[in-house]
Amino acid sequence: MKLAVCIKRVPDMEGRFKVGPSGTAIDETGLKFDMSDFDGYAAEVAIQITEKLGAGEVTVISLGPDVVQETLRKALSMGAHRAVHLKQDAPVSDGLAIATAIAAELKDGGYDLVLLGRMAVDTQNRSTGAFVAELLGVPFISAISQLNVEGGVVKARRELEGSYELIECPLPAVVTIDEGIARARYPSLKGIMAAKKKPMESKPAQLGAITYQLEKLELPAERAAGRIIGEGRDAVPELVRLLKEEAKVL
Amino acid sequence: MTASNGLFALIIVAALGFFASNVQRLVGFLRIGRLDDSRWDAIPRRLANLITIGVFQKKIFRDSIAGPMHAAIFWGFCILSAGTVEFLAAGVVPGFSFARFMPQWAYRFYMGNQDLWGALVLGALALALFRRLTKSVKRLQGAETHPNDPLFILSWIGLLMITMFLTEAFHMVGHPEAATPFYRPISFALAQMVAFVPVGAANVIHGINWWAHGLLVLGFLNYLPYSKHLHVVASLPNVYLSNTSGPGQPGVMKYMDLEGDAEQFGAKDVEHLSWKSLLDGFSCTECGRCTSVCPANTTGKMLSPRKIMINVRERLETRAPVLLGTAAGSAEHDAKTLLDGYITEQELWACTTCRACVQECPVSIDQLEVILELRRNLVLGESRFPEEVVPAFESMEQRGSPWAFDPGERGKWADGMNIPTMAELAERGERADVLYFVGCMGSFDERAKKTTVAFAKIMQAAGVNFAILGREEKCNGDPARRMGNEYLYQTLARETVDTLAKYEVRTIVTACPHCMHQLGNEYPQFGGNYDVIHHSVFIEHLMAQGRVPLRQDLHEAVSTFTYHDSCYLGRYNQIYDAPRDTIRRALPVVNLVEMPRTKDKGLCCGAGGGRMWMEETEGKRINAERADEALATGAQAVAVACPFCMTMLNDSLTSRDSDVKVYDIAEVVAERLA
Repeated sequence: MKLAVCIKRVPDMEGRFKVGPSGTAIDETGLKFDMSDFDGYAAEVAIQITEKLGAGEVTVISLGPDVVQETLRKALSMGAHRAVHLKQDAPVSDGLAIATAIAAELKDGGYDLVLLGRMAVDTQNRSTGAFVAELLGVPFISAISQLNVEGGVVKARRELEGSYELIECPLPAVVTIDEGIARARYPSLKGIMAAKKKPMESKPAQLGAITYQLEKLELPAERAAGRIIGEGRDAVPELVRLLKEEAKVL
Repeated sequence: MTASNGLFALIIVAALGFFASNVQRLVGFLRIGRLDDSRWDAIPRRLANLITIGVFQKKIFRDSIAGPMHAAIFWGFCILSAGTVEFLAAGVVPGFSFARFMPQWAYRFYMGNQDLWGALVLGALALALFRRLTKSVKRLQGAETHPNDPLFILSWIGLLMITMFLTEAFHMVGHPEAATPFYRPISFALAQMVAFVPVGAANVIHGINWWAHGLLVLGFLNYLPYSKHLHVVASLPNVYLSNTSGPGQPGVMKYMDLEGDAEQFGAKDVEHLSWKSLLDGFSCTECGRCTSVCPANTTGKMLSPRKIMINVRERLETRAPVLLGTAAGSAEHDAKTLLDGYITEQELWACTTCRACVQECPVSIDQLEVILELRRNLVLGESRFPEEVVPAFESMEQRGSPWAFDPGERGKWADGMNIPTMAELAERGERADVLYFVGCMGSFDERAKKTTVAFAKIMQAAGVNFAILGREEKCNGDPARRMGNEYLYQTLARETVDTLAKYEVRTIVTACPHCMHQLGNEYPQFGGNYDVIHHSVFIEHLMAQGRVPLRQDLHEAVSTFTYHDSCYLGRYNQIYDAPRDTIRRALPVVNLVEMPRTKDKGLCCGAGGGRMWMEETEGKRINAERADEALATGAQAVAVACPFCMTMLNDSLTSRDSDVKVYDIAEVVAERLA
């Protein structure tokens, strides 16, 4: 069984963000980067499938400048078998253009199942997975929390508010992974050593036509500090007044 | 030489031969262990350890009852062994006696000692048997021990003593002309009691006892290799070869080569341990001192350092013959490893690396080395560890701190305090005398930041020219190393060594004993050599020089303190007095009360060895145990000198709404600044 996992390199969301000089990108100085959380779960799921089967191959794919090879290497140290780097130095925000490049790479690869995170934790566009499935012309199940692949059929579960859906489709297929399915493993040193010897292929990304551009990036306005209006019983009338008149929630 | 002499000679040769072959077999077992060539240096220091810890039983005496008891048996054994040699020689060569080689007074002194020590050993044995049979000593119990072995051994030694006395007494009865009253008083008194036995019968009884004693001696010798009592043979070499009391700084973890193409990181089975750890297994006599001071064990957790050592020996004795090709492996043997088959993950993760077990072991066993090597395999080889430490590992990797704080905020506590960073000084072409390495707790934890500010204020008041690294500072890696993540640790350590090299740092102060231990004692493994001073020592030193201006009023609200020893300051770095002296200098009227477990017997706060980042669901919480002990002293405040101890004790005391507060020693001093 051949599996592909698409991975995005994203900044540490605990960091302090600043807008860079271009005005359309964040300032990367001092920020740490790692695999997007959902992509980590997707890689883990794929690796677990091959471990369970005792056969199969997981290919991890990432689009971006040379530094994304670091992130791909991490997926290899988790247990993926090979990596493909789609080289693209300038930032792209158009999900369709990115999906086109990914689909071009996947098309003739003979992949049975393609996994992506349900979204990248930085941009949260949620578009790439669906685009890739459409471009490949295969079934697509989004945001799944359970996955079972057996006899050429994907059985997946998606969480809804207070209930869930069970969805089936034939392979080949594209799925995007929600949280709760598996925790991305912490690579062992053995895995890190083994990853150094695994194949990493780098080729130019064949981006699709750019359909939209990011115009401007802005930080949200700083929230005003909270106010203490008093303590105990006496403060209640004033609180109620403010909730009615200022916050207009009552 | 009679036929009987000849027979005895044959028996001796057979017994010694069998013993020698067993020793050779067991020494051969050590060969399956990993190389460790850190044991052959510093001969004078090792001899000193052998004399103080071995011959003079320094650590044995840490137990005030078992200490003298064991020393009597041990010294008696040494002295009576001379008599045994004479006895065996006389069995082969009739009439052989040391009297031929020494003046009469010396021989009489020697004989007197045989009687005296024989009696002392018998007395000590009686006490030991009493302790065993009444089960009055908790540390001697334990599911992992071999409870019948000690009873058997004690009885055997008792029989040795009794047959020795009877042999001598009936010899006196049979040969009244040779009776030697005053320098063998006990044998003589015994002879008086059996003086009614006719000479002929006395000679027969003497003969029976003589043979019984001879066979018991040789039998005992050959029982040793099959018993926990092998420690008689292994302990003294083990004390000599051990590094737990020096040479070198105790408690330093071994460097691990991660570059080589190693198949196995850390230890999964006995062949991955160093041969010295295997010798530790042979040296353990299951006394349980280690387990009785283990903070994890005494609060109801599975971990028992004694069990770890017993498991090492058990596994070695089944594993080594298979690896050496002298026994065939069985399916059961092959399916097992030391890890999982004998020692569980749960036991290993309970360890706080407080080093109390190592400190306590009378024969200098290093239980911690085994635990940490097994942890290294778990993390580096198998990626198996409590799930809750993943964020800590990832954050250390990503942000250089085990907590998810923005690295850019590291120096924020110093805002408005006019404390330069090394980078700022370098830009101005200036240098600081001292680098203050704040550490992650001191930089980010709200409570610990107060200590950080207090220490900085003291240094400012004393006119110390110091700087910090600010956002360039990173975790020293200690939690990663103690949790077995050597790879992450080495990455962090090398980064910090590079940063410190950039500013040519020589002298470092820190309020965190873990930072101190790493930078001072473990960074030399990466070429980082600094003079690292803990804030307790530094402040005490500044105060002794009169450089810290204090208020003159003597009135203090808090007047009774108890000081809690940090493991990494105390047992790892032998600093016990400086923090106490600091408090006394700051508060001349203070009443410092000690907890029962104090100084090198201090109880861990529960945070070391990465326990800070793990859940503690098994048994009683260690910090609660320690807080109970602190409260029982009646002290109005607890003083600490480590941010981890601060958090642990503070958490426990706060959770029970106690009025007793925890202060860092720097806070105590800063509070008194003029």
